[in-house]
Amino acid sequence: MIKRYAALIRNAWLVDLQYRASIVLWLLWGVTEPAIALGIWWAIAGDGSVAGYARDDFARYFFAVMLINQLTIAWDSWYLDRWIREGDLNYRLARPLHPAHEAVAENIAYKARTASVILVVWLLVAAAWPAVRLPFDPGRWAITAVAVLLAAAMRFFISFTTGLLAFWTTRATAIMELHAGVSLFLAGRIAPLALLPPAVASVAGVLWFRSMLAFPVDLLTGAVHGPGAVLRGLGGQIAWLGVWIVAYRIAWTRGIRQYGAVGG
Amino acid sequence: MSGMRRVIHVLGAFWRLNVAEELQYRANFVASVLGTLFSMATGLLTLSLFFHHTTNLGGWDYWEIVVLLGVFNALTGVIEAVLRPGIGQLAGEVRSGELDLVLVKPVDAQAFVSFRRLDLWRLSDVVLGLALAGYALTRLGRVPSVAQLAAFALALAAAAVVVYAIWVVLMSLAFWFVSVENIAVLFDAVYEGARYPVSAYPGALRFLFVYLIPIAWTTTIPASALTGRLRPEIALAAALVAGLAFALARALWRAALKRYAGASG
Repeated sequence: MIKRYAALIRNAWLVDLQYRASIVLWLLWGVTEPAIALGIWWAIAGDGSVAGYARDDFARYFFAVMLINQLTIAWDSWYLDRWIREGDLNYRLARPLHPAHEAVAENIAYKARTASVILVVWLLVAAAWPAVRLPFDPGRWAITAVAVLLAAAMRFFISFTTGLLAFWTTRATAIMELHAGVSLFLAGRIAPLALLPPAVASVAGVLWFRSMLAFPVDLLTGAVHGPGAVLRGLGGQIAWLGVWIVAYRIAWTRGIRQYGAVGG
Repeated sequence: MSGMRRVIHVLGAFWRLNVAEELQYRANFVASVLGTLFSMATGLLTLSLFFHHTTNLGGWDYWEIVVLLGVFNALTGVIEAVLRPGIGQLAGEVRSGELDLVLVKPVDAQAFVSFRRLDLWRLSDVVLGLALAGYALTRLGRVPSVAQLAAFALALAAAAVVVYAIWVVLMSLAFWFVSVENIAVLFDAVYEGARYPVSAYPGALRFLFVYLIPIAWTTTIPASALTGRLRPEIALAAALVAGLAFALARALWRAALKRYAGASG
């Protein structure tokens, strides 16, 4: 299995290499939203602070969002929608390997490439601009790495499962866009959850949205205090990951059963 | 002028076909309106979140920025109905060589490529955007004067020209960098910045948006003309900027086209 994965990742890496200019553009698109949000909060904070966030805190927060969003984002619903509608799923089903493995390998190759670019840019910016420097704390980074892994896995299953809805509807990607619109607020893309009205923030915590992005970001910037809060956050991530895996299994088995292949 | 008339004639025929085609998919109209309402709602919610923590953004208050958001949505409608399905396809066609089929047509290639498609339903964004701007104006309690309305109309037209020029420039770059089929993404990234008045941004970004990538002229200026924040004469400056942007884009397009050697077989 490891050998298969190595081959799949290598393959995806080489394909991405062909489209590296395109990937740079996607990357640029991915960082504008947090950059604009940072610009606006920067103006609002001025010389004071907003709910405990001063300018420097916003800078660190949104740099962490850029990195962790890139590490956890999953485009799979768009791929699956196309595979199912245009019949590209057919030959993938004929292979002796579940199509999800190919998707996972693609995610790993894509994220390794784009996240390392962001990391390098962050280090360069941090050299010149102390505001975005993080305190040296390997223990916290290690826990963040675990949380990022859980978030990436969950967002993969969310995206993959939503893409599978293409078995039944032509608007699977529209549903994904809807989810993206909600996650703008609830996952902490536009603002730290601490700045949302408390009722909205608690909805984000009860549902899976905080686990997607805001929790790992808060871990990295040090906004999660105490081992209890860390464990609760990780527990929430694991629970929702489990839920989405179950949802994926249901969608996959039901969808495949009623899939009438298109195309030749 | 007969060349111009021919372009209009040909495009008219194409648009009639497009409209007939789209009228067959009326469910798309509902989906399109719902999508627009959803994105307007997220825009307003984002704004509310900002104003939960402040009373003004770059000197603009809430309803003034809602006027701007309305302008943003109206322009989005123009982009989605005409520009993205038309000139937005160019980068891919340069790569695949399909552009050959356009170039052999006996009409001006730029005009044809730019306006060959009309996705009728997305024009609802224009209506909804202007309605939002109008509603925000009443909330501000301001009745624009005739001069302000005229300035707004001119500034809005200028904004559409500026947006168009940015698309032409980006797509012309595709002639040099053939592998960037998704170059339209670059537009989406920059245009996100037009959701807020330029005065809300730090100095360097503001300079970028006013002079280098002129998106300040797409939303901030028309909204300012409508709310009376800027004097109506600003519309003349906007028209000038639009003329300049258009001329530059046209020149770059010509230079780009000279490089094109065709790729289809």
